[in-house]
Amino acid sequence: MRKSLIIENLLKQIESIWLKIKKGIGTGFKFIFKYTGLTFLNKKFKKLPNRIKKTVYALAFISPWFIGMLYISLPILFKSIRMALSDKYYFINNVGWQITGEWQNFTQFKRIFTEEPFHLKQILSSFQDISTVVPLVVIFALLLAMMLNQKIKGRAIFRLIFFIPVILLSGNMLANFERNALLTVPAIANGMISRLLSEYLPVALSDVIIGAFGKIVLILWLSGVQILIFLAGLQKMDKSIYEAAKIDGASMWELFWKITLPAMIPLIYINIIYTTIVYSNLSNNALVRIITITSDESGSLGGTLTDEVNYGRAYSAALSWVLFFIEMIVIGFYTLIIRLASKRYD
Amino acid sequence: MTSTKNKVRKILLGKNGENGLIFKIILYTLLIGISFIFLYPLLIMLTKSFMTIEDLINSSISWIPREITLQNYANAFEYMKFFEALLDSLRVSIYPTLATVTSSALIGYGFGRFEFPGKKVLLVLMIAMFLIPSVLTYIPTTVLYRDLKIFGINLNLMNSVRAFWVPALLGNGIRQTIFILIFYQFFRTIPDELIEAAEVDGSSTFRTFLTISIPLAAPAFLISGLYSFVWYWNETSLATLYFGSELTTLPMSLNSFIQLYSSMYSQGNVTLDSVNSTYNIGVQYAMTLISIVPLLLVYLFAQKWFIEGVDRSGIAGG
Repeated sequence: MRKSLIIENLLKQIESIWLKIKKGIGTGFKFIFKYTGLTFLNKKFKKLPNRIKKTVYALAFISPWFIGMLYISLPILFKSIRMALSDKYYFINNVGWQITGEWQNFTQFKRIFTEEPFHLKQILSSFQDISTVVPLVVIFALLLAMMLNQKIKGRAIFRLIFFIPVILLSGNMLANFERNALLTVPAIANGMISRLLSEYLPVALSDVIIGAFGKIVLILWLSGVQILIFLAGLQKMDKSIYEAAKIDGASMWELFWKITLPAMIPLIYINIIYTTIVYSNLSNNALVRIITITSDESGSLGGTLTDEVNYGRAYSAALSWVLFFIEMIVIGFYTLIIRLASKRYD
Repeated sequence: MTSTKNKVRKILLGKNGENGLIFKIILYTLLIGISFIFLYPLLIMLTKSFMTIEDLINSSISWIPREITLQNYANAFEYMKFFEALLDSLRVSIYPTLATVTSSALIGYGFGRFEFPGKKVLLVLMIAMFLIPSVLTYIPTTVLYRDLKIFGINLNLMNSVRAFWVPALLGNGIRQTIFILIFYQFFRTIPDELIEAAEVDGSSTFRTFLTISIPLAAPAFLISGLYSFVWYWNETSLATLYFGSELTTLPMSLNSFIQLYSSMYSQGNVTLDSVNSTYNIGVQYAMTLISIVPLLLVYLFAQKWFIEGVDRSGIAGG
């Protein structure tokens, strides 16, 4: 009984001391604010119209992004353009970065397309690779999302498995798979299916499908996020439309082409863009590998002229712009196809 | 007779929107088959990482090892300097994650809760910058980060974790625009009345943000934190560019092992003798698994939030 009283008293005393300190700090701050003019500013600020106050607050909140934009993202973009359009881009101690060459000569681009046949080959194979993998990923993602959208037991487990690549996918991982021939399940690639396909389908078509089976692990591993995007879209669809169509005697085939697919078209655009950007920026991409190796091993951190032994920063920057154009072409081509194909739905 | 026929028909083909047995069998077979393909590389790695050299080079053994060995894991732990690398990995992923989440919340709040002139332009600018592929920025960032000064402060980003977390604090983390947009969506859905009530009671804007908005956006913190952690953990190209030899994360040391192994292989230095030591495919697989186990654990415990992340990022909303 007495013990608790003592503790209570103690607590009270601590509290009063704390209050005094708080008050002291408060008056101290008030004092500082008053004589630095902050109180004055605060009063003025409170009198401002609401609209301006909101803008000031908003700018305060987004200021980190703003600073980052001004000091990091925009300078990087401009540097990247300037580097790609120079002959050499190097560092001299105590002097700074040096740029040689006129931009209108497009030296590095000319070099890529005329003097480096090996890299040109890599560019073409990257282009081919990206443009075959992207549509396959989007199609598989749509099919898998529709499967997961059925009433099935153990959906959570399937979803858990289908989504694992989102956590593990990295250029490193894919390069690891590629090197050890884990991009395909041997039984599928060399098995019955591909033999049947090559016998009964036209060569062009069966080549594409067999190619897809040869990269089946890669395609599935790339489609994690896309599956979820489609799945979210499918689950938001109105079930009563399906019911009504079924009563009218529509087959599953018709339901897919006339109801599901048109609703998925905006998501198909998103997934085409997403897949292209993610896949072409993974470090297992041949071009990305050249870009990082040419800048990395020749000592981009040192940055001196002598470090730029093989290709150098300017060349790498130009190469990354080539990759960017490849991405744009792939995205543009497939969105155009989808747009043309979906015209009849309008 | 016809009734039993109908019954069988009903069970096999389904009726009134219920899926029939045939459809279900096909569906489950496909789903299980596809699940197997999804897991195939991991399963192969798992079983091979427990194989002895004799089993690894024996082409007739593909799935079940004749005897199980832990030697590959012992070698992998030793080569990776596991605990040092784990510590580096955690540093390289946790600091930038904290920075990313903090700045994304602030920026998302600024865009989500306030109306101001030029907001749409800034949002479009942000998304446009996001579409610029990361490869395009590799080389110029190394140039820029060498002597980046903001407000006269030399940030000294190179060869330190700062190269990851300082840009993240300024909205330039790995795919950070996604997180900003998630926060943007979350803060927009907070009812205005709640904020106004607090402000009528005399709460300042910043205090309302801390005490009312942040608790309501807890899922956004979780989602962006998890994704950001995973993406920074997996990042190796940027990490090698920025950190050089200063830091070695688990994926980075796996990478260096693979490079060493493949260069040995291409020079024909891999004899049965050297295979016997540290350098064989079993060790490589063991290392791969070691470097992803932390991620798998995170995923198993928080998979709901990873999935929620895609749903909530707004892209699926059409």
